[in-house]
Amino acid sequence: MKEKKEKRHVSYAKWGLIFIAPFFIAYIIFSLAPQIITIYNAFFENYRSGLTIVGPNFVGLRNFVSLFTPDANGTIDILKYTGNTLLMWVEGAIPQIVIALLLAIFFTSYRLKIKGQGFFKAVIYMPNMIMASAFSMLFFTLFSNVGPVNQVIQAMGWADATIDFFSMTVTVRGMIALMNFLMWFGNTTILLMAGIMGIDQSMFEAANIDGANSLQTFFRVTLPLLKPILVYTIITAMIGGLQMFDVPQVLTNGFGVPNRTTMTLVMYLNNFLSGKNYGMSGAVSVILFIVTGILSLITFRSLRTQSEEA
Amino acid sequence: MKKLLALILASAMVLTMLAVPAFAEEAEAPAEEIVMHEGVTAEGEGTVFNIYAWNEEFKGFFEKYYQVPEGVTVNWIIVPSDGGAYQNALDEALLNQENASADDKVDMFLAEADYILKYTGSELTQDVGALGVTDFSNAYEYTVQAASDANGVVKGVSFQCCPSALIYRRSIAKDVLGTDDPAEVQEALSDWDKFAAVADQAKEKGYYMTASFAATYRPFSNNASTPWVVDGALQIPAEVQQWIDLTDSMMEKEESLTSGIWEDECTAQMFAEGKTMCYFGPAWYFNFSMGNAQDPEKGCPGDWAICEGPMAHFWGGTWILAPAGTDNPTMVADVMNTFINDEAVCEELVVNEAQFSNNQAVNGKFAEDPAFGVEFLGGQNATAVFVEMAKNIKFENGTIYDQLCNEGLQNNLQDFYRGGSTKDEALANFYKYINESYPEVVTP
Repeated sequence: MKEKKEKRHVSYAKWGLIFIAPFFIAYIIFSLAPQIITIYNAFFENYRSGLTIVGPNFVGLRNFVSLFTPDANGTIDILKYTGNTLLMWVEGAIPQIVIALLLAIFFTSYRLKIKGQGFFKAVIYMPNMIMASAFSMLFFTLFSNVGPVNQVIQAMGWADATIDFFSMTVTVRGMIALMNFLMWFGNTTILLMAGIMGIDQSMFEAANIDGANSLQTFFRVTLPLLKPILVYTIITAMIGGLQMFDVPQVLTNGFGVPNRTTMTLVMYLNNFLSGKNYGMSGAVSVILFIVTGILSLITFRSLRTQSEEA
Repeated sequence: MKKLLALILASAMVLTMLAVPAFAEEAEAPAEEIVMHEGVTAEGEGTVFNIYAWNEEFKGFFEKYYQVPEGVTVNWIIVPSDGGAYQNALDEALLNQENASADDKVDMFLAEADYILKYTGSELTQDVGALGVTDFSNAYEYTVQAASDANGVVKGVSFQCCPSALIYRRSIAKDVLGTDDPAEVQEALSDWDKFAAVADQAKEKGYYMTASFAATYRPFSNNASTPWVVDGALQIPAEVQQWIDLTDSMMEKEESLTSGIWEDECTAQMFAEGKTMCYFGPAWYFNFSMGNAQDPEKGCPGDWAICEGPMAHFWGGTWILAPAGTDNPTMVADVMNTFINDEAVCEELVVNEAQFSNNQAVNGKFAEDPAFGVEFLGGQNATAVFVEMAKNIKFENGTIYDQLCNEGLQNNLQDFYRGGSTKDEALANFYKYINESYPEVVTP
């Protein structure tokens, strides 16, 4: 009797493991191992001077110490670049999330019933399909001293002299934020739409019957129920934002003009790679990793506690 | 089905893009007989000849004018130089040279002046004299200096010489100086004080002296009397400091635009309606990079001329270097000798390829020839100007740091000239840039 029972019990557990194994193998080879090697490299002096390879020599925390040593003017570069990165991300992310949320609500509203949704969705997603570098080149040309934007401004008589957009921090950061916003709001819209459509339609109907207006429905029904997806969207956007590179790199030719105020963390890292300086770029990567981890945790915590309180 | 269709369309597009250049090359079939150098190799040497390059320029000349010896296959490894990709690929190959099989060894590679010292100063390149390239009597001295290491051992040759001239608008010169004759304009611009004075005159008449803050950079940096890095410390050479002072003053008086050499604002000034008097550049610059000036409708071909300007200098050029460990030493030497000493081939380069060859005797012939005028320059014989100038060009005090020092200084100072930073900030950013690339260099 007992034996029979045991025979009937077939374990499918190993199949589950086999099915998910490819992901883990790929993850270990292509993500985890490089990550560990990067951290390891951060503790070594290892670069190339011309064709001469210097190192690797173990130097302990020296790379980190030099990253946090202030320059002659008392500026700690890596903090400045972290600040630049976060600021430019926030400038782009606020409109990105707000507009995407609005659009997602319009598109999913059973009252509005917008026609030609497929078309609009494709159009707002379109900018994401352009290569970031091509997009940057476009902006570079548009806003150059002899570009169309300056021509229009002068033709309209809004300014007498040429406006050099690349000499002002506000405009360069603004351009970068605008590009990131344009490239990503479509993607966010689609994610949030999926989130809203996942909410039980009867909730909206119930709110409607109870006499809630659109604003009340949004703040009392949609937003609380959307929170998990919203948290996910914000965290992924933030991780992407901290790794901001291609747009400012191409737009400012890697120099972060004006006066390195648009230099991001990954651009800084890339500067070290021109001399194949694995030690210093490894150290910057580790810091980027820690910053990303901390910020993600803070976002996750704060949004989760809020929703629990609600 | 849709996916399949998309795939077919996409591959069709890619195939067309690949096919077009192939057709274009075929269409260029030469009409007349071309002189070709018969290549030689020695018994027991390799059958595969690997050449590293970053574009097709030399490949074109090589295939047209060099008859590859029988039994040898030439293998071109072309990696575009964008983002340092060419040097990365080449460095890996050279560092791996010892372990590579005979057929995979690098036999020859091309390099530009900006970074040639990285290779000539290394043991990964070899003395071409030992291979049999010994006659440099016809080559221009600076091209030999550039390919030599610190002890004067020559490690390569250049198949072209790129003396860079002052290119001016005839009509503006007439308005400002009262003449457009190259000899008289040269007299008025023969040193930097005169250049600055003419810039003031041009400004008064409503012209710009140069369209880019960096237009005048190369003459100064080429003639630097000290290296960028002395005893491991970065030092701005006196001549480069002189350039900074001149440019500071010109920018303050708005005698030049703040744009970079390759930016639209600078090249837009080449149109007929442009207000810029001077550009600096070699033959390839006015032949291939002044498209706006050559535009049949909006340009002004013929309204240009060249003179030596305040300082002899060069811009660009490609060197052929010999890596250590090649298995085709005879052919390496043969190719090098062909492109500097085979007069028939050098003549073809001048006549068919608009090159200023690296053979003084050949260039001298064309300098005398009145039929050799350039239409774009109002019929002026450019070769005659270059022949004299090329003798005065120097390539001294180079370091492996030069490329990034030159780029970093110009780009960071551009930020200052545009108003994005103060001069101190710009210089501090330049030092940071150097430190990030070269941790071993001490900066002020």
